[in-house]
Amino acid sequence: MRNSQVSQSGYLTRFYLRRDWLPIGLWLLGIVGLMGAAAGKFDGIYGTQSALASIVTTLKSPAMVSLFGPFIAKPPYTPAAVYAAEMMVFMGLIVAMMSIYFAVRNTRTEEDNGILELVRAHAVGKQSPLIAATLELLIINLMVGVLSALALQGAGMTGSDITGDWLFGLGLAAFGFMFGTFSLLMSQLASNSRGATSLSYLVLGVLYIARMLTDVQNTDNTWWTVYGWIEKLAIYGKNNWLPIVLMLLLAVLVLGVTFFASAKRDVTAGLLPNRPGRQRASRLLAGPFSLVFRLERTSLIIWLIGLFVLGVSYGSIFGTVGDLMKANPVMAKVLGTAAVNVANRTVILNFAATLAIIFAVVGSIPAMITLLKLNSDERKGWLEQIHAKQVSRARLYSSYVAVALINGIMALFLGVLGMAISGTASMTHPLTITRILRAFVGYLPAVLVVLGITAVLVGLLPRLQALSWVVPIYGVFSLYLGGLFDLPKWAKQLTPYGWVNRVPLSEIQWGTFWWMTGLAAVLLLIGYYCYAHRDLLEN
Amino acid sequence: MANTVLEIRHLQKKFGKFQALQDITFDVKEGEVFGFIGPNGAGKSTTIRVLLGILRGTGGQATIFGQDVWRDSVKIHARLAYVPGDVYLWPNLSGGEIIDLFLKLNQQKHTAKTDALIKQFELDPTKKARTYSKGNRQKVALIAVFSTNADFYIFDEPTSGLDPLMEEIFQQNVLALKKQGKSILLSSHILSEVERMCDRIGIIREGKIIETGTLDEMRHLTRTVITVKTKEDLADFAQLPGIHNFKIDERTTNKVSFAVDSESIGAIMTALAPRQIVSLQSTPPTLEDLFLRYYNHDQEVSDHAK
Repeated sequence: MRNSQVSQSGYLTRFYLRRDWLPIGLWLLGIVGLMGAAAGKFDGIYGTQSALASIVTTLKSPAMVSLFGPFIAKPPYTPAAVYAAEMMVFMGLIVAMMSIYFAVRNTRTEEDNGILELVRAHAVGKQSPLIAATLELLIINLMVGVLSALALQGAGMTGSDITGDWLFGLGLAAFGFMFGTFSLLMSQLASNSRGATSLSYLVLGVLYIARMLTDVQNTDNTWWTVYGWIEKLAIYGKNNWLPIVLMLLLAVLVLGVTFFASAKRDVTAGLLPNRPGRQRASRLLAGPFSLVFRLERTSLIIWLIGLFVLGVSYGSIFGTVGDLMKANPVMAKVLGTAAVNVANRTVILNFAATLAIIFAVVGSIPAMITLLKLNSDERKGWLEQIHAKQVSRARLYSSYVAVALINGIMALFLGVLGMAISGTASMTHPLTITRILRAFVGYLPAVLVVLGITAVLVGLLPRLQALSWVVPIYGVFSLYLGGLFDLPKWAKQLTPYGWVNRVPLSEIQWGTFWWMTGLAAVLLLIGYYCYAHRDLLEN
Repeated sequence: MANTVLEIRHLQKKFGKFQALQDITFDVKEGEVFGFIGPNGAGKSTTIRVLLGILRGTGGQATIFGQDVWRDSVKIHARLAYVPGDVYLWPNLSGGEIIDLFLKLNQQKHTAKTDALIKQFELDPTKKARTYSKGNRQKVALIAVFSTNADFYIFDEPTSGLDPLMEEIFQQNVLALKKQGKSILLSSHILSEVERMCDRIGIIREGKIIETGTLDEMRHLTRTVITVKTKEDLADFAQLPGIHNFKIDERTTNKVSFAVDSESIGAIMTALAPRQIVSLQSTPPTLEDLFLRYYNHDQEVSDHAK
């Protein structure tokens, strides 16, 4: 009986690993490369005590705490302590994203494509594909952990120790695996892969925001946010192994629920029942644009609410971020209240400018997803009949582009607006909302250019269109961490996000605004030209 | 002479180095049902996708209503309706919504006929497409196409997921279109379907049209398989002209089976009658037989074409 549930799990695991070698290799290379390269540079960047002192002051400011987690190391400070503080929360985010990717890919996506049905028709246990997906996640995360630990050991930063190196690596592995199991559970609840991915990111986002809020207010509460466990490892400090135990316990618990849910439901069904649909199409569903809009509606709403909530959450700590008097009472006495208020505003506007990049990058994601669907919907065969209708390629292309643009523009706007509303509410000497909304106008062309780049790939290299994800991933890396890594200016300007000045702190540069918008328009047209003159993808 | 609706001349299509279509040449005349038959992977769907402007031909020409299939695709599609071989539908829309959408995209209206078709094909239009089987997805596409008023209809293996009852309804609807004088291109590998509905057929193999003509012209190429039991011995039949694959049943006396060329069938029947037939079974020629024949007699066929 037991055998019939799990037979061939080992074979399937090996098969999944072999099939996924390229994405696994790319993720490993990216993560371990980033960890190792940064570790190699840190002794150089933070070699002097003055450099250390200044970065520690920066990292202790509430704005930095909200982005990277609290700085808990005790003096004397070492480059390794700074490294751990800067990298832990961020790398946790990356391994969580990696695990979501593989978890959904090997469960719900297989099911959507009908491959699971074929596999299950063979002498394969009922739970074997899920066991194989779980084992694959475990193996990938272990590889990430071991290779990262070895990279850290090899770099040998001042202040690092072998226990800390391995705690960092294995902590990342446990953290990634834990989020992978969350995603496996979501794959049982949702009825398709898009739903499973969205739900997984929703969980990740909620926990990340919760961590940010507790870190800024009271780091003891961070224990409750799950995400915060990764900070509690106290790498290169106390080297606490307890969080790893917690992560693994939670992972096992979630896996238990997942396997129970998987045993209860039918293949291709979610746990949520299918409701009957409309008998006739509504008058609003009448053409390619309304079709794309209708298909993207639910995910659009989720993304927009998500961005708004993210904005509101960040805005809510503006009061704390901009309270320099509390951080440095002497300054208030020396400068006087009026001057301190000006300084407070500058700190907040600087913080808002960094957040604006995050909103721009995160806001690009739903827009890019929509645009990439021009090809992926094609491959699913959904568009074949549309092409046989009186619908030109120009109309179909512009429908996807239009919905993508609405998606991106609205997402950026709502992120900035949420930040503006709750930010002004949380401050004693508020900025005007319009001032903060400069961030929207400033970064809008960056989102448009990123969409333009995506469109060119969609048109020109449909099979390699996923390459466009390099732009937001590198963008968030170079601008979120770039300052701390001492990246040269050109390296920060490789993506369009780096072409914008620090709005809302500075004035909007209208020249930049217009040439970037123009560039975006040209790229979208090039994308169209390529799309209109090639074979469509066959399923 | 009827006008030509579809005209294909030496159409070619390359995917990288792979030559999917080598030489496709045929016409579909106004008011005609043209059967497009060939084995899997012969290039039927590729040809149709070029005709729809989804793929771009790499050589030769193809026109529908006298307009270029790539350049003027939108103008052509205003008067065209199409059902693909594999119908994939947006999983979160209902069948009813998709039918209406397909109609609206060609400025057509949901009419009483649409409702009648939904009833006839026994489709529940309120179900989400993700719950439909392959056959039900095909029904959605068929209902939309049959309630579209077009001049040229293209069906790419439209009955592969339908049960025999639904196949029958499909055939009735195609015959109704034929009666109205519509032109139809029907790709299929079910010869009985083609035989019943098509005026002319074109056979495609390995990216080439190897034969076109009316069914009567083709029929001489086909063989009927006959299994017969008689009171008298039949062993000498093996030598008769027009008989192939002659086999004697080991277990039953005087029972044989053989394939007979369609043009010799009358002579064979005349020869059989005096042997006192006990039972007779005839299996109509299948597409497979036709192909096997082409495969074995390529030379003969090309001679005949001349």
